[in-house]
Amino acid sequence: MNNQELGYLCLVLHAHLPFVRHPEYPDFLEEDWFFEAMCETYIPLLDIYERLVSEGIDFRITMSLTPPLCNMMSDQLLKERLKNYIYKRIELTEKEVIRTQNTPFHKAALMYERRFKRIRELYEDYYKENVLNGFKKFQEMGKLEIITCCATHGFLPLQIRKEAVNAQLKIATDDYFQRFQRMPRGIWLAECAYNPGDDYFLKNYGIRFFFLETHGILYGTPRPRYGVYAPIYCPSGVAAFGRDMESAHQVWSAEMGYPGDYRYREFYRDIGYDLDYEYIKPYLHSDGVRRNVGIKYHKITGRVSLGEKQPYDPDDAREVASIHAGNFMFNRERQIEYLYSFLGRKPIVVSMYDAELFGHWWFEGPMFLEYLFRKIYYDQKTIKLITPIEYLSIYPDNQVVQPIMSSWGDKGYNEVWLNGSNDWIYRHLHKAIERMVELANRFYSNTDTKIDRVLKQCAREVVLAQSSDWPFLMTVGTAKTYSTRRFVAHIQRFTKLWEMINQNNIDEAYLSDLEWRDNIFPNIDWRAFSTIETEKRNK
Amino acid sequence: MSSPGSGKIGPTGEPDYSAKSLPEGYGKTEAFLLPRDPFWMFTYWEISENRLKNLIKEIGANEYEESKKVIRVYKMSEDGNKLEGFFDIPVLFEAKNWYINVPECGKCYECELGLITKDGRYLPIVKTNRVVLPRAGVSDVIDEKWMSVNQEFEKLLEISGVEYIGKGSLDIAKSLAQRWEMLKAVFSRITSFGVSSISSQSLQKQEIKEKGFWLVADCELVVYGATQSDANLYIGDRKIKLNPDGTFALRYALPDGDTLIPIKAVSKDGDMEKGVSIKVIRETKKYE
Repeated sequence: MNNQELGYLCLVLHAHLPFVRHPEYPDFLEEDWFFEAMCETYIPLLDIYERLVSEGIDFRITMSLTPPLCNMMSDQLLKERLKNYIYKRIELTEKEVIRTQNTPFHKAALMYERRFKRIRELYEDYYKENVLNGFKKFQEMGKLEIITCCATHGFLPLQIRKEAVNAQLKIATDDYFQRFQRMPRGIWLAECAYNPGDDYFLKNYGIRFFFLETHGILYGTPRPRYGVYAPIYCPSGVAAFGRDMESAHQVWSAEMGYPGDYRYREFYRDIGYDLDYEYIKPYLHSDGVRRNVGIKYHKITGRVSLGEKQPYDPDDAREVASIHAGNFMFNRERQIEYLYSFLGRKPIVVSMYDAELFGHWWFEGPMFLEYLFRKIYYDQKTIKLITPIEYLSIYPDNQVVQPIMSSWGDKGYNEVWLNGSNDWIYRHLHKAIERMVELANRFYSNTDTKIDRVLKQCAREVVLAQSSDWPFLMTVGTAKTYSTRRFVAHIQRFTKLWEMINQNNIDEAYLSDLEWRDNIFPNIDWRAFSTIETEKRNK
Repeated sequence: MSSPGSGKIGPTGEPDYSAKSLPEGYGKTEAFLLPRDPFWMFTYWEISENRLKNLIKEIGANEYEESKKVIRVYKMSEDGNKLEGFFDIPVLFEAKNWYINVPECGKCYECELGLITKDGRYLPIVKTNRVVLPRAGVSDVIDEKWMSVNQEFEKLLEISGVEYIGKGSLDIAKSLAQRWEMLKAVFSRITSFGVSSISSQSLQKQEIKEKGFWLVADCELVVYGATQSDANLYIGDRKIKLNPDGTFALRYALPDGDTLIPIKAVSKDGDMEKGVSIKVIRETKKYE
C-alpha cells in the first residue's frame, strides 16, 4: 500500500431478508421482498462490481450475506419464481415502452426495459442463476469481504440459553463454509446487537471482527482512546468496529439525507396503482389487489401529494447521484483530514447501511455507490477504501475495551425487539429453545437416521422462530399478521415434532411436509444446541 | 393485508396460527428476566396451579389473600458477586409479566416473585435468571496505555455523533413503512386530498398590539384515512360519512392539552371491527 492516504473508509452493506418461501402456495405476496431485492439491489450491485473490475478500478466493500438470504438465493423454487418475476417485468416494460411513446414517461420506460433485460442477462446467462458465485468471485479477487450473520438473524441479547447463541453462530458459520469454501472472518451480529461475552463464541468460530453501533464502543470500558475511529479488541481478542454517525446521518437523515432529493425517483408512485386495472392486472398477484409492481415514473418533486409528482428523468437523477457521491467523498476527505490531525493516527471511518436501502428504497443508491468508487479511485488521494481485515493487518495493535450491550435499533438497545407489541413471543421462544437443548443433550449420541431427521427439522423450526424479523415487523406494524403467523407456525411445528419424539410416534408424512416447507439449512447441525458443544465454544 | 398467503386460511386448510393458538403457560413454575435498555428490564413468569395450591395450603387462604404479592428486585455489582440491595414492586401474579424500571444502570439484576405476609414475613416463590444492564454513558475507567485528556475525549464524543445514537435504520424503515401503509390506504385510487388546501377561517386577529407588529397563529387537526367503502365509521361516538371510495377526512379544532381521537370501523354486516386510536398533544407557547 502506498502511504499517502490519511485514513480509511470502510463501507459495509448488511444484506438480509427473512427466510420467506412458500411452496404450499402458487403465488405468495411476501416472496416479493426477495424478488424486489434481487432486481433492485443484489444483482445491480454485482453489475457495478463487474463494471469496475472490467475497467480496472480498484475498490473495497464489506457485505454481509445472511444465511437466510444465501439459502433463498440458492433455492430451486425461488430461482424459478424469480425468473418468472423477471420475465413478467420484461413483458410489462416492453409494453410500456410502446404505451408511453410521446409522453414525458417514455425515457423512464426505456430505462426500465433496459434494466430488466440486463438483470435477466446477468442472472440467467452470466451467473447461471447462481448469484452467490458472483459474490464469491469478487471476494476471491480481494475486492469484497463477505461476512456472515447469525443463522436466522437471531437477536442475541434476548437469548437466555447460551446454547441458543451457539446454535445461531455454529449454523451460520457452517452454512458460510458450505457456500464460500472457507470460514468467515467477520460477522454482522443481527441488528448489530451485542451482548458482552458473546464474543468468546465468535473467537471460537474463527471470527476476527464484528460491528457495533457507535455507543457500543464509546460507552465501553475503559474509555476507547480513538472513539469509533479505530477498532477495539474485546477481552476475547475479537475486534469490534464502531459505526460512524456522521456518514450514516448523511444518507439516513429524513431531512438532509441524499435519498430525499427532489430529482430522485419517488418510491410511492407506482404504475401498479396508476394504470388501467385490466392492463396491469396480469402483473399483480393472483388476488388482483393493486400493489407496487416496481415501475415508477415520477420523481420526488417536493412536498406535494402523490398526484402532483412530476415525471422522472433518469439522466437528471444520474447527474444528482454523481453530485451526491462527490459530496460524500468530499465530506469523508475533510472528516479524515481532521481526524488524522486530531487523533495522530490514520482513522478508519466505518459507514454501515442496510444493503436494501441502495436500490430498493433509494433507487439511485447503487449508482451513487458506483460513482463513489470511481471518484475515490480517480479524484483524490486523502482516503482509501479498506476492509476490516486489511485494516487489522496494518494496525494489529489496538486497545482492549469491553463494549456495552447495544444495538442499532431505535434508542440503541433492545426495545425494538422487546416491547408491548412483541414481548409475548419470548415465553414461547425460550420454552422451545429449552426443549430443543434438552433434545440435543438427550440424543447427542443418536445414530438413528429417522430421529436425526426429526431433530434436524426441530432445529430448523427453532432457528426460524428465533429470527429477529418477526418481532421487528410486529413493532413496525407492517406485515404484522404475517410475522405473527410465521412465529406461531414455527413454534407449533417444533412443539408437534417434540411431542412426536417424546411419544416415540413419528408421523412420517408430517415430518416430510415440514421438510418440504421449511427447508432452510439442508445440513443443519442440531447438536449445536447441545450444552456440551456450547461449552466447548464459550471459553 | 389480504393476499394469497398473508393471513387467510389457505387452500389446504392451514392450522390456526394466531397468537391465541399458543398455550397460556407450560405448567411449570418459572420466571425469566430480559434486559431492555440501561434502565428497564422485562420479566415474565408462570406459577403452576399446583404450586399455587400448595402455597395457599401452606399459609392458609386468608393469609394468602391478605399478603402482598411482589417482584423483589435484587441489585448486584456488575460482576454479580456482591448484593447491593433490593426493592419490591407490588404486582398481581396473574399479570404474568412486568416491565421493571431500575434506578441504576450498569448493574447486575435478578428478580424473585414472592409474598409478604401481613406480619411482614417474606416468602420467596421463584427466581429469575440474572441480567447485566448496559451503562448509559461514558466509562470513568481510563487505561494508561491509551490515555487521552478529558477535553480531547469530549471532543471525540462530539465528532463521533453521540447525539445521533439510535437514529438508525429502524427509524427510517419505520417511517417509510408507515408512510407506505398510509399512502396505500389513502391514495390507492389517486384521490389526493392535501392538508395544504385548508383555509384558515378560524384565525382571528386577536389582541392586535398597539405597537403595530403582531402575530397570530393557530393550528387545527386533519384526521383522515380509508376503510372498506361499505363500512360504518365512527370517530368517538359520531358516525362519519365515507366518501364513495371509502376514504374520509375531517378537520377539527385542536385545543391545548391532550386530545384523544378514537376511530372505529365496523363492517357492513357488523361482525368485524377495527380501531385506531390517535392521541395528539398540543402545547402552545408565546414569547416576546
